[in-house]
Amino acid sequence: MPTLSSLLKATAAGSARIEAYEIDLKRAGQKTLQLVVNARVLEDGDPDRIRLLVAVADVTDARADARQKDDLIRDKAILMQELQHRVANSLQIIASVLMQSARRVQSEEARGHLRDAHSRVMSIAAVQRHLAQTGVENVSLRSYFTQLSESLGASMISDRDRLSIVVSVDDSVVKSDISISLGLIVTELVINALKHAFPQERSGKISVDYRSHGQAWNLSVSDDGIGMGDRAAKAGLGTGIVEALARNLQGDISVTDANPGTLVSVAHIADGVADVPAAA
Amino acid sequence: MLTASPTYRLQHSQMTAPKSAGAGQPLPNAKFGLGQAGDITEDRKAVILIVEDSAIIRMGAVDLVVHAGYEALEASNAEEAIRLMEARTDIVLVFTDVSMPGTMDGIKLAHHIRSRWPPVKLIVASGRAIIEQSRLPEGSQFVPKPYNDSTIVEQIRRMLAPIEKPQETRR
Repeated sequence: MPTLSSLLKATAAGSARIEAYEIDLKRAGQKTLQLVVNARVLEDGDPDRIRLLVAVADVTDARADARQKDDLIRDKAILMQELQHRVANSLQIIASVLMQSARRVQSEEARGHLRDAHSRVMSIAAVQRHLAQTGVENVSLRSYFTQLSESLGASMISDRDRLSIVVSVDDSVVKSDISISLGLIVTELVINALKHAFPQERSGKISVDYRSHGQAWNLSVSDDGIGMGDRAAKAGLGTGIVEALARNLQGDISVTDANPGTLVSVAHIADGVADVPAAA
Repeated sequence: MLTASPTYRLQHSQMTAPKSAGAGQPLPNAKFGLGQAGDITEDRKAVILIVEDSAIIRMGAVDLVVHAGYEALEASNAEEAIRLMEARTDIVLVFTDVSMPGTMDGIKLAHHIRSRWPPVKLIVASGRAIIEQSRLPEGSQFVPKPYNDSTIVEQIRRMLAPIEKPQETRR
């Protein structure tokens, strides 16, 4: 190994110092070893007999382990991307089919249901996209709800100057399964407000609000539309979804007259015992 | 005289298109070979090429484009798309997916179209949102999948607004 020998000579002459120098030790009939060499002059006050302190470490196995770990991490990242890509594509297929049906169907009511189904799919897609972008299991609710409202507005509001959705969320971060439940509640409440609060081209605003404090949290969707009046909420699919999800999150639903409009909130009060459960 | 290549697909303009008198007729062959890609001929609908390998998503994309009042052409991979671009000079916008079988993906296709037919507008959709946005040619629009139909229509209208004559189908 001429390089190593000249480096050692230079070290002995005092003009160099070998620190963590890596070499491959090749021997006939044996596997190549990766070595790390350190060398320095041993200064023992005898200038006539120069001695070198040389340390050699075999790092073959350690390097192989590190390489394998890097490969695994890379493989996992590629796999995750591939998976997310497939999920996005599958959701696109579902969304495409629902929209094609909605355009073809004759009955206005059926069209409404198909559009709602489409919005629900897009609501789950929004959290999926969010996870793909941030790459963590924790979801920042502010950006998720903003994306979600953007998506709901795009598919449900034909005149964006007439109706708007405003999102106001604190810095809360929740687990992805909980975010899906909260997102679906928001989706249902926003769809409901868009359908019932603004008849006859009435203009207005829908506000999505979320605050948390320790274990306690409050999610509300309010509108400045015509209000509930004496009409009781019909027990439709949307109401059923909101009730089921709220129960799962140990939240209580309340509907109040916002004057003008309606405020629906789902609140979880910290009881010091129960954690927020995993959503179904 | 140019003849239709065997890869030609159906024109969908008459499928379920909103009424618009006289529009959506197949182009007379005499129009081929003249003019520049990106031109819009008088009193005709703008032609949009959809490139997508998934049949159902492609169907949905064609449907949304036709319903928005445009004429749709479709291809299931980049090579087919380029053959169509070579045969038709009236395609003003290409709406393509990214991952497709064949030697060219949607990103390469977008760059190819940008350099060969500069006026043609580009919308690129993909489920891989983060990686792809930065790799697209300038002036093309990226849309993450799954996309909202209305988002695509808004995007098409915005991109075609400067070159399009007012249509009765526009909002």
